[in-house]
Amino acid sequence: MSLLAVRDLNIYFRSAENPVRVVSDLNFSIRESEIFGLAGESGCGKSITALSIMGILPSNAIAEGNIFFRNKDLLKLDRESMRQLRGRDISMIFQEPMTSLNPVLTIGYQIAEVLTTHLKLSGKDAMHRSVELLRMVRIPSPEIRVKEYPHQMSGGMRQRVMIAMAIACDPGLLIADEPTTALDVTIQAQILELIQGIREEKRMSILFITHDLGIIAENASRVGIMYAGRLMELAGNRELFNDPRHPYTIGLLESIPKKRGILLKPIPGVVPRPEDLPAGCKFMDRCRYAIGECGVREPELREFSSGHLVRCIRAEEITWNY
Amino acid sequence: MELLRVESLTKYFGVKKLFGSREELLKAVDGVDFSIKKDKVMALVGESGCGKSTVARLVLNLIKPTSGTVLFRGRNILEFDRKEMKAFRKSAQIIFQDTFASLNPRRTIYDTVSEPLLIHNLAAGSQMKDAVAEILRSVGLAPDIMNRYPHEFSGGQRQRICIARALAVSPELIVADEPLSALDVSIQAQILNLLQDLREKTGISFLFISHDLRVVKYFSDDVGVMYLGKIVEYAKTDELFERPLHPYTEVLLASIPEIRAGDEKTPRRGALKGDVPSPLDIPAGCPFHPRCPKRFDPCDKIVPSLSGQNGRLVSCHLWSSS
Repeated sequence: MSLLAVRDLNIYFRSAENPVRVVSDLNFSIRESEIFGLAGESGCGKSITALSIMGILPSNAIAEGNIFFRNKDLLKLDRESMRQLRGRDISMIFQEPMTSLNPVLTIGYQIAEVLTTHLKLSGKDAMHRSVELLRMVRIPSPEIRVKEYPHQMSGGMRQRVMIAMAIACDPGLLIADEPTTALDVTIQAQILELIQGIREEKRMSILFITHDLGIIAENASRVGIMYAGRLMELAGNRELFNDPRHPYTIGLLESIPKKRGILLKPIPGVVPRPEDLPAGCKFMDRCRYAIGECGVREPELREFSSGHLVRCIRAEEITWNY
Repeated sequence: MELLRVESLTKYFGVKKLFGSREELLKAVDGVDFSIKKDKVMALVGESGCGKSTVARLVLNLIKPTSGTVLFRGRNILEFDRKEMKAFRKSAQIIFQDTFASLNPRRTIYDTVSEPLLIHNLAAGSQMKDAVAEILRSVGLAPDIMNRYPHEFSGGQRQRICIARALAVSPELIVADEPLSALDVSIQAQILNLLQDLREKTGISFLFISHDLRVVKYFSDDVGVMYLGKIVEYAKTDELFERPLHPYTEVLLASIPEIRAGDEKTPRRGALKGDVPSPLDIPAGCPFHPRCPKRFDPCDKIVPSLSGQNGRLVSCHLWSSS
């Protein structure tokens, strides 16, 4: 059964002229205790999708469609019910832990706040539990660290604090938006290991957003590849990396440097702006497999094989080996 | 031929605590040696704070070293007079990670790219426009962008402009400090191909600073791995990736998230414990020993020296006897 189901989600930004659509007819679901990876380049709509699930879209954005979480439509909830759910049932960690933590409050205070707000713990119990949580995210000497301020910690430590805060109420879904992008590789490995460990222990689901396909390959069970606000391909981990069918997915994989001396095959051009996307397939202008028909109408996200969806009319002909 | 040689290069910064009277020494670079041959790419890798960017600045005499020498074509750049320094500036150029910060927002692309030509009297009057057009073409930009401003371009295009500016004076050495880190994967591949192409056509040598080991493996001939201001391992790129000797290098390589086709699930690697220590408080003995999974008796007491044969150097007690 799926924990979260996004159905026909469209997100628009109001502007002086016509509203600009940045997410278009998005459909995907996340199962219980799985890591669902959402990948794509800057501006593809992956972060704004996360914000819409959390109900924290910027004020000039409008979301339409349905986001079912435990059979409740989050987009239909009133402010107060959404506030109660946020941080308790769904929580989120961000790329930049420094800007997500309040610099003038102690780590302990900030974690305890989640507990007193959502679980109605007393101040003392909440502080006690904060220490436990810091221990769970493997921060050394948590009794001392709990009284410290964000600036006294390294980037990796701050991200651990963010994770402690996010898991404080045992949420069903954790949204991780590029949680390791600002970190060094060895620290990234630590944080990924921690996230995997917590998921196994707490059996929670994770929506993992990243531009790094390597991280997706090593951690996610299913993967969605986004481009220009659309899902271009969606498949199980193994299926996607062994048998990618969308030219954009293949382009991303070919952009990763492998053997020395072999010239890379980058995707030509740049991501088009959301207000001037091509008429048919949105990837057409940059696609080396494009044919005349691609410009006629936008292809559907269709089932290529069981559980493997592709938005490309030529998916059957396109094969690629890693 | 040896283009650049760096000998026992050291840079200490004095750091004063707020309200403190005592000045502490931050050992950013602590006795670094390496050389770059003509036509070659030497990479420096390491995590934030390891001193790799400080080395980049020292090599170009943008900051003065505490001690040590930087020899360019066998002559110490620290002893250059004004005229010699100007000539050196023509021979050695730099490109940075943050393209927005390295281009003046109020100057057109023409202004930016023509300035080095003007300073070094490489073109004048009517030829200037043609010269700039030619340089822009060589980095894959259309010459008609000349009258536009940096904000009108994407990150990848801005990096091309920065490369164009560096190429304008036909340098022999380019110091590239994380030139790809701010770019999306598909754009990274475009810029990497451009750099590769320039290398082949012009024979420019590179000091390539990066934390992305995939890129380093693809682009460089030699690698120095830095940790807390020191080079802990130095080798030909292929040898380093095939058989890392230093435990830190091993961990770094194991931390790269990889896509391995065919595997059901990639095996979990053992993440390194702890953070990089502060360069204000470098551990005694081997600076890596508190985090090292292979440490033994002498590691916390005796500083290992960088030694080895045939240009394969490692600074580790495990290898010092053999």
